[in-house]
Amino acid sequence: MSERIDVLIIGAGPAGVAAGIGARREGAERVVVLERDWDLGGILQQCIHPGFGLRTFKEELTGPEYMHRFIQQAHEAGVEFRTNTMVFQIDRENNTVWTMNKERGIEALNPSAIVLTMGCRERPLGAIRIPGTRPAGIYTAGTAQRFVNMEGYMPGKRAVILGSGDIGLIMARRMIWEGASVEGVYEVMSWPGGLRRNIAQCLDDYGIPFHLKTTVTRIHGQDRLEGVTVAQVDDYMTPIAGTERYVECDTLLLAIGLIPENELSRMAGVDIHPVTGGPVVNDLLQTSNPAIFAAGNVVIVYDLVDNVSDEGLIAGANAAKFAAGKITSAMRIPVKGGENVRLYSPQFVTGEADSTIFMRVTHPVETACRVFAVTDDGTELYSQRLRYARPGEMNEVRIKADKVKASPNISNITIDIQPV
Amino acid sequence: MYDIVIIGSGITGSSIARQLSKYKLRIAVIDKASELPAGASRANSSMIHGGFDDKPGTMKAKFCVPGNKLWHRLKDTLDVHLDECGSYVCAFNDDEVRHLEVLLQQGKANGSPGVEIISGDKMREKEPNVSPGIVAALWSPEAGIINNFEAVNAMIESAQINGAELHLETVATGLITEGGNVRGVSTSKGDFLAPIVINAGGVHSGEIASWAGDTSFRIIPTKGEYFLLDRSTGGTITSFLFSCPSKAGKGVTVLRTAEGNLMAGPTATEQLDPEDRSTTPEGLAEVLKGARRLVPNFPVNMNITTFAGVRANTESGDFEISALKTPRGFVNVAGIKSPGFTSAPAIAEYIAELLQEEFADLATFAPNEKFIPEHRNIPRFLYMDMAGRKALAENDPAYAQIVCRCETVTEGQVLEAIRRGARTVSAVKMMTRAGTGRCQGGFCCPRVAEILSRELGIPLDQITRHGGESRLLVGKTKEFLLKGAV
Amino acid sequence: MSEERKFICVSCPLGCGLTVTLDDAGEVVSVEGNTCARGASYARSEVKDPRRVFASTVRVKGGKLPVCPVRSKTPAPKGKLFDITRAVAALEVEAPVKIGQVLIHNVCGTDADIVASRDLEAV
Repeated sequence: MSERIDVLIIGAGPAGVAAGIGARREGAERVVVLERDWDLGGILQQCIHPGFGLRTFKEELTGPEYMHRFIQQAHEAGVEFRTNTMVFQIDRENNTVWTMNKERGIEALNPSAIVLTMGCRERPLGAIRIPGTRPAGIYTAGTAQRFVNMEGYMPGKRAVILGSGDIGLIMARRMIWEGASVEGVYEVMSWPGGLRRNIAQCLDDYGIPFHLKTTVTRIHGQDRLEGVTVAQVDDYMTPIAGTERYVECDTLLLAIGLIPENELSRMAGVDIHPVTGGPVVNDLLQTSNPAIFAAGNVVIVYDLVDNVSDEGLIAGANAAKFAAGKITSAMRIPVKGGENVRLYSPQFVTGEADSTIFMRVTHPVETACRVFAVTDDGTELYSQRLRYARPGEMNEVRIKADKVKASPNISNITIDIQPV
Repeated sequence: MYDIVIIGSGITGSSIARQLSKYKLRIAVIDKASELPAGASRANSSMIHGGFDDKPGTMKAKFCVPGNKLWHRLKDTLDVHLDECGSYVCAFNDDEVRHLEVLLQQGKANGSPGVEIISGDKMREKEPNVSPGIVAALWSPEAGIINNFEAVNAMIESAQINGAELHLETVATGLITEGGNVRGVSTSKGDFLAPIVINAGGVHSGEIASWAGDTSFRIIPTKGEYFLLDRSTGGTITSFLFSCPSKAGKGVTVLRTAEGNLMAGPTATEQLDPEDRSTTPEGLAEVLKGARRLVPNFPVNMNITTFAGVRANTESGDFEISALKTPRGFVNVAGIKSPGFTSAPAIAEYIAELLQEEFADLATFAPNEKFIPEHRNIPRFLYMDMAGRKALAENDPAYAQIVCRCETVTEGQVLEAIRRGARTVSAVKMMTRAGTGRCQGGFCCPRVAEILSRELGIPLDQITRHGGESRLLVGKTKEFLLKGAV
Repeated sequence: MSEERKFICVSCPLGCGLTVTLDDAGEVVSVEGNTCARGASYARSEVKDPRRVFASTVRVKGGKLPVCPVRSKTPAPKGKLFDITRAVAALEVEAPVKIGQVLIHNVCGTDADIVASRDLEAV
């Protein structure tokens, strides 16, 4: 049999490092975090701009600074890390985790509990099927960010950015600060994908044009990208004839969305939610496989790393409890999304502890509104007034355990945001 | 000085090179590409056809069924993925059913084994996700789907193992003749002298033939556009589905690639430019419409890339294979399009015989006793069992390092591809599948580029995507600022 | 004549829309739209002395990575940011680098220091 591990965590990004801390604090003896890179910290190591951890640390840190603090805490808590170690398979029959490492070769691990913290990946160009050629110079914003911030290379001199996700906005400013030019940011929706402050401080500060309801309709260039055609779109996202414009550029950066990275979760046989793309979880962050927990962007793509770390702490602690035989319960009361809810997580509430449901609206509400949770027997579990609700900004529904316990007969909970 | 120069190392040229390497011949294969496959062999349906689609008496009919049989053997000899899945031609109405009858008769005449017409319901027992509107289908059990990247590389590597030379980034610019005899090919890298020149130039084969004064046929570059979907969609269907053909081509097909991706295409758009491989809104819309006709719930939201290939159509609709009288020594293997991939090994056998009949005085066709038929592919970690993986990793730690996480490709595989000649990111991709998965290289492209840079001793910003000027990066950070290029 | 200026607060992810009213002398009369004290002070600073935190990389000799991330420890004057990009570009440091290590004091005559924002080991 392989070595004894109480809680095995897959991925040492913000969720995984926090899960390690959470598991140790809960008393798990051997907590091991596996990381495929040589370095800990995951994607935050390349997010060198400030904007992380205001809620947790009361100051805005850069990605590496934020992770530095958590990694120190993890070391102090006695979390074990294995870098350059990739998990390439999880067997669903017995939760065997297969790892590879150049020194240790291929190994099988059989932990008592697993926490999935693999994060997310970027939607590639193929997902949006832009016609044209396939030259060099088209990157997801995160790939370009790695080249610039970790490898010290420039992907191009003259960039167009498609999509207004935060990484794209941040990369616009980053390119400017390296002496490149940015021709414009094009967003197919009628609202920005990223935070408004990033539009202000990354685009407006440098006079970078931001075009809503506009997309790239054609890619030009054989070897290296030479330009793109952009066009306005109608309400059905169909390009409007006559609005096409050629924009010369040598680089196209894509910030068109993030997808939870769940290949291992699928192998492990945990249920994947069709809308979030992440594992279905309850508020203990336990998946449909009771020994497997999940936290962070692998579950649902968060706006703030503070939330990712918080969820990591919860998942790690509950995985430790599971390893110690203190919890067994899987899914409990199902949560349903109301009319203007695009996605949310967790999808089940156990009532064993206070919990937070994270959600995004489908359509922006630009007037005063209310986010709430109500049970099928009409009991209001939560209600909070909001000035607005926007798809690009997550909303939180906080559920008190005692309120759930006080209504033992509820069979589901509905969450929604409605104008007041 | 060579005995034979082959222009073009697509599946046709590389199959001929391998076949000829069974003789003690000095063979050079030249190709303008930086990586293989490049032309029509790179972007096609990767179909090994059953052989019912070609009019008896044509070159296509002559080579398709024998080619199919050869591939079923070569897949093991060359270590190439061939999914022996069979194919269906789907009929939605009486007219189309009548067309199936024609195909059935053709299939029988061509010797295509096991072709039969089955009911739509019987088809749906095996393929439950196809349209309920399909009333009947022509089933061809011997049809298959090959990994075309592997097949071309295996074929040319096998030829190289047996002594043939491959010269990439070598553009043929003219034919050298003397007194009505072929003397060689002039190229961007100097003259390649040989008394026999084989024109396997794909979409450029018409132009190359014209160098020899042969204007008897014309190539009509015909674009085909495709969708390629995430590997998780591979369960949607398990075989190759044809629509009933129209004059424009075989119609849109839906298939599961040898690696398990759902794929749909092609269109058939004639164009002037043989190198225009851009996808178009109209083409993609046509493919989607055709795909949905066959598979109503075609999961296009799982698309990972779209691409286009340009095939070498001819006015006759048939292959143009012939040895010219003058200049003597010039052989056309031109206009090879569907079922070209299927036919290639059979065409290669035919060409070897043809050369011995026609040109025994120009080269000595002594058997190469040292010919090694077997070729081993780069180990495919993804498909190995755990014992095999462990053995590989123990032997070479580079196989215990994942480079491409979507397709589970190890650093060991990338290093082996470089050893076998990969010089670009997309060469590595075609030889190992690194970058062919759902993130389309978002994760592995920087890593593959770093490995190429390290192994080849080339600065990272000189590494290209696919050769030429397709550099991935334009320089180091800080350079623009220090040069004042703001 | 009083002047009104509207902009988005960048102090936190909320991104409140701020409206600042200035009197004839350019003095702030009122700040509206903010939801916290940080927003009010950002608004005042933005109209008088706009500043941003600068973040980039510096070249590293002999490090585990060829570049090390850096930031201005405090916000730097917005008008000096392009000068700072060039000053940072000109710098090359030797590994190892410690997080918080000051690499440039008072960069470009501002009161902001450029500091390393991660540990970077030597190889």
